[in-house]
Amino acid sequence: MLGRFTLTTAILLALAATAARADAIRIGVNEPLTGPFAASGTYVVNGAKIAADEINAKGGVLGKTLELVIEDNKSNPTEAASVAEKLITSDKTPVMMGAWGSSLTLAVMPKLMDYETPMLVETSSSGKITTSGNPYVFRISPPSSLEAETFAPMVDRLGMKKVDFLVLNNDFGRGAATDFGKMLKDKGVTVGLVETMDQGAQDMSAQLAKLKASDADTIMITSSVDQLVLLFKQMAALGLKKRVITTGGSQNPDQIIAQAGAAADGTMHLTTFLPWSPDRTPDPKATEAFIDAWKKRGFAFAGVTESFRGYDGIRAIAHAIEKAGSADPAAIAKAFWSVDFVGLNGPIRFAKTGPAGKESGQSKPDVYLIEIKAGRVVVPSL
Amino acid sequence: MDELIQHLVNALILGGTYALLGIGLTLIFGIMNVVNFTHGALYTVGAYVMYLAAAALGLNFFLALPVAILGGLLLGAAIELVLLRPFRGSDIDTTMLVMIGAGIVLQSGTLWIFGGVAKAIPSPFPEAPLQIGPVSVSWLRLFVLGAALGLIALTYTLINRTKLGLAMRAAFQDADTAALMGVDVHRIYTATFALGSSLAAAAGALLGPVYVVFPQMGGLAELKAFAIVILGGLGNVTGAAIGGFILALAEELGAGYVSSGYRDAMGFLIIIAVLLYKPTGLFAKAERIG
Amino acid sequence: MSRLLPFALLAGLVVLPLALGPNPYLLNALIVTGILTIGAMSLNLLLGFTGQLSLGHIAFFGIGAYVSALTSLGFDVDLGFGIRAVHEPWPAALGFLLATVAAGACGYLIGRLSFRVRGAYFVIVTISFAEVVRLVALNWVELTQGPLALTNIPAITLGLPGLGMWTLKTKLQNYYLVLGVGTLCYLAIARLVGSRFGRAMRGLKENEPLALSVGINATRTLTVAAVISAAMAGAAGSLYAHYLRIIDPDVFLFATTVSMVIMVVAGGKGTLMGPVVGGLIFGLLPVALRPVMAPEAQWIVYGVVLIVILFVMPRGIVPGLAVLLGGRPARAVPVLEANPAVQR
Repeated sequence: MLGRFTLTTAILLALAATAARADAIRIGVNEPLTGPFAASGTYVVNGAKIAADEINAKGGVLGKTLELVIEDNKSNPTEAASVAEKLITSDKTPVMMGAWGSSLTLAVMPKLMDYETPMLVETSSSGKITTSGNPYVFRISPPSSLEAETFAPMVDRLGMKKVDFLVLNNDFGRGAATDFGKMLKDKGVTVGLVETMDQGAQDMSAQLAKLKASDADTIMITSSVDQLVLLFKQMAALGLKKRVITTGGSQNPDQIIAQAGAAADGTMHLTTFLPWSPDRTPDPKATEAFIDAWKKRGFAFAGVTESFRGYDGIRAIAHAIEKAGSADPAAIAKAFWSVDFVGLNGPIRFAKTGPAGKESGQSKPDVYLIEIKAGRVVVPSL
Repeated sequence: MDELIQHLVNALILGGTYALLGIGLTLIFGIMNVVNFTHGALYTVGAYVMYLAAAALGLNFFLALPVAILGGLLLGAAIELVLLRPFRGSDIDTTMLVMIGAGIVLQSGTLWIFGGVAKAIPSPFPEAPLQIGPVSVSWLRLFVLGAALGLIALTYTLINRTKLGLAMRAAFQDADTAALMGVDVHRIYTATFALGSSLAAAAGALLGPVYVVFPQMGGLAELKAFAIVILGGLGNVTGAAIGGFILALAEELGAGYVSSGYRDAMGFLIIIAVLLYKPTGLFAKAERIG
Repeated sequence: MSRLLPFALLAGLVVLPLALGPNPYLLNALIVTGILTIGAMSLNLLLGFTGQLSLGHIAFFGIGAYVSALTSLGFDVDLGFGIRAVHEPWPAALGFLLATVAAGACGYLIGRLSFRVRGAYFVIVTISFAEVVRLVALNWVELTQGPLALTNIPAITLGLPGLGMWTLKTKLQNYYLVLGVGTLCYLAIARLVGSRFGRAMRGLKENEPLALSVGINATRTLTVAAVISAAMAGAAGSLYAHYLRIIDPDVFLFATTVSMVIMVVAGGKGTLMGPVVGGLIFGLLPVALRPVMAPEAQWIVYGVVLIVILFVMPRGIVPGLAVLLGGRPARAVPVLEANPAVQR
């Protein structure tokens, strides 16, 4: 009896909640707001909100306002899949953005096939995402192979001879180790240790002690910003002084400078955005406007290297809805192919990748190498 | 060889805070027969109070630490008065479930208040480590070890050299007889739980600046505290202190020479092995505490 | 009331999807709730009927999920010493059976252990067991894909000779599959509890020295109960894997065990209907609360509700309501006496 009573209540409440506002187009946002990737996911969401507010202030899309439905995937793949299911079936979002981490995005992808709903991938870097034959995936972040390719010319100039890797034990980290390792071997650089760490790990001193004892000249690290801060502090504590290059574009150098202090000095980072010198970005005016809006909301400047992807992601989705002429999932999926505008880190237009007939979309953003010197971000001249 | 020495030093430093965690839990179990599932949440709360005091309010680092310990003490006392006192006389399973409920509320509460994004506590110590031959240790970690050892010594003194400690030992051996002899057992229980909680908060406040502070940090700490307590024998304070160092050593060597991914598994494997071999813990001497 | 409740509930659950119409969101919530409820029923067998508080129950659930997923996906693993274990994908239904068997085998180990270590030690050793299994799932990447998650797990295919085959892909099919397995588990537990063996279990829980003196074999009784309980949890885990079609090591998280414990304790441990009622309430509570509060606030509600229930209805909702409604107490067994196992 009691069970059924609760059930009816639950149903009524749920139905009340799903009655969507007729004058709004809903966009699902599936990001990690808790767990190890919480910092990065929160930045992306805040960037997305700026884009939505900006678009709505200019009259919205197709005469309707954009409404973001934001859900926390807890940095966990299974949760990311069920969030996607919830967004599509309960909130009826015709298009989504997500899911930050590669393993999270890969977990969501079968749901896109099931419900034929497109998703814009804003951060994930694993190659698998755009090569597995999922035609509902459109990615604006660089796959790690593209990062490696951009980095290749700098290998000789940096004088790298032997490289050790320290990467997250997931698609993001392992994908980077594979792609960079391949590029380095092609260039005749020896690849030594490949150490992994759990995404929630706090104490990496054991891995670092191993890396300290190795004879490699460079350590390449792939992780999210919180773990990088810990790593740099622990490296300083161990007196580990080698060239460090991080990949993945989720480093937020200013947060590293603020939280790791001098321990981060001399580290190099591959990023996809240059907010430190807006004049060197593809659309300086848009970059400045975005940074202004970000600061006006009281967010720390450090977040922009992450949040600009949320901002560009929502802008790309808005362009697609505009071109589709309706908020229909199939029409939006088709319209993504004709999106073409200049984002904050290069033109956003999708090229077909993956198996013929069911290609995914991949945009090609710029990649830059920056260095932290005396607490400031500089672009090294190589 | 250098690598081995570095691992040993790392283990020594980590062991101090592990011991602190274990002692708090084992005291509460030994005296009150309560398996404290709020221990991890109290560890988290200690770290967040430290963050609030040191990073958000700008209090001096060395003043923020006692504030965090005091915070744990008060919260522990409140939990005991509100949640455990009404269940006095219930079986161990019921109080365990009450503590699980309280742990959920505390952990979700910190998540609700502070959000999921990890916070960093700035440390007043220099970045450059202390270098002794091939081994380097950060000053912050040295301070953490010193503070942990100091707190352990204080706890020992409290138990063995004060009237409160005498009453606690009496209640541990036989609560009914102690009550007959005029010991206010309710008060002793509150004091015990508050003391154990303050030690958990202290461990959180000490490790917060070493790592980062986030709402789920207490989960693994709690499981590790269980491991330490089992190693030392439930209710055995000295056992817990030694257990803390053994666990740290096993983790560090396991991570260094077996596989870093299994670092956290070491504690649990030890528990299972110990319980199969000697179900009452390595240092079972449950007749007395201290 | 207590006698009609199961039938009324079952009838209600059978027609519910028809009343709901096509609402994939609610159907999804019902399926996941149903799976967790099966887990809670199996936990109740240990916690409620034998009085062993196993807080590592999620290990059996997770082992079932992984065994079933790996059986149906296949694997190719290097075991070292030049030995390779290669397994071609088998039908998912076979995975379900193997999951049940594998989880049951692990239950055997825990059951043997439960006789050796009791009380607080048993609780902690079961938690440790679950954590070790989680860490293996996390780190044995070659087999389990670790944190990359096992994806594209096939749906269960059922076949009846002469009637054809069904691949249970839709939510509606999965709903009835879960309901069917749940009903079977319920009937099995009811049968078991009513039998001689059930009396032995409860005898051991209420007064162990007395039970031993009348010739009840404690080791055997606890072990059998643990095996059955674990096998059912494994079956639930298998349903979970083939329904969600993705699993990762977080399936072993302590929080899920806690959810099941809350379901059992709130519903009424040691009663047949308790875990079902508790499971439905706590499984669907998030659906009801989602529009009104954030997930972390929901968990605060969970914690508070658990404490409040322990205060007001220490035996749980089902026995509590039975008393309130003036009937005789539903088949509730008195709350555990102080556990004699912990030596002081």
